[in-house]
Amino acid sequence: MAVKNTEQAITLAGAFVGGGLALAGGAIGAGIGDGLAGSSYIQGVARQPEAQGRLQTIFFLTVGLVEAMFFINLAFMALFVFVLGGK
Amino acid sequence: MTGFAPLEIHITPGEHPTREWFGMTVNIDTVISTLVAGAIVLLLGFLVRRSLTRPTADYVPTKLQIIWESVVGEVNKQVEDNLGKVHPFVAPLAIALFFFILIANWLELVPTELNEEAHLLPAPTADTNLTYAMAIFAVVSVWVYGIRTKGFKGYFSHFVQPYPVLLPLNVLEELVKPVTLALRLFGNIFAGGIMLALIAAIPWYAGMPIANVLWKLFDMAIGGLQAFIFALLTVLYFAMAGAGHDEHDDEAHESAEPHVPAQPELAA
Repeated sequence: MAVKNTEQAITLAGAFVGGGLALAGGAIGAGIGDGLAGSSYIQGVARQPEAQGRLQTIFFLTVGLVEAMFFINLAFMALFVFVLGGK
Repeated sequence: MTGFAPLEIHITPGEHPTREWFGMTVNIDTVISTLVAGAIVLLLGFLVRRSLTRPTADYVPTKLQIIWESVVGEVNKQVEDNLGKVHPFVAPLAIALFFFILIANWLELVPTELNEEAHLLPAPTADTNLTYAMAIFAVVSVWVYGIRTKGFKGYFSHFVQPYPVLLPLNVLEELVKPVTLALRLFGNIFAGGIMLALIAAIPWYAGMPIANVLWKLFDMAIGGLQAFIFALLTVLYFAMAGAGHDEHDDEAHESAEPHVPAQPELAA
């Protein structure tokens, strides 16, 4: 990503900042979502320990879906930084 | 403080060696990895079938057979719960998607890098081309299934279902399904690949082997989870396309009725 002039430098800087914002928002959302899913799982198992096996499947499904939002943000960060930042 | 000058890290995410086929540019390493992953899945399938057809006196299921049977059993249970019967297209599609995506994700963990330029078998799911192709295939199958089950008018009327004002939201939700399916899988595996490249740049005395092993274990879990989610979401999309909103209420009423006749038996 060789920078030749000020306009390219501004584009690159904007791309980095945008990528950082995308990652920050995604991490906060994923953290809160995973925490909520985990807390519901723990409460459910505390009420009814026999349900742990069934609830575990739903827990991992929810965690996978919540983390997916973060990774979609990461894909857009990669788009901004590596593709659009160099233009 | 005299610090170490950081070593240059040459990580080029998203760059693939390409070939020109019929005027289109093809990422050749993704194609080769896809073929290798598909060949491994087929090999595992044929191995299980061979052990099934071999007659032995006291037949003990092999570990591979137990793995296949548990996955097929789980998927059949999910398909039956959601679609009402073991649909002859949906269940094999979900099983194939799960195993293929699992092996494709786990290919990343096998070190096949000759040098910094040549990575022989990168994870094919770290390339959006493969994930978009699989997602589009799955979602178009869902649309065809929905139109076949409910007819043209029945399927398109579900867009205006609770309230007609929600039409743009419902259409957007339907169009976004393949995008989220593809990008979810791509983002997970792409991030894992970049993390592996970053860990490879850590010097050995700073704990690179430990970080390598820990991250690879985590990536294995993530790869398995994402394969499970892709297959399960495909089954759920089929179920949502085939069942209307009224049918959910009918199923709730139908499942409520069998409980009533059971009580007199307990009293007797």
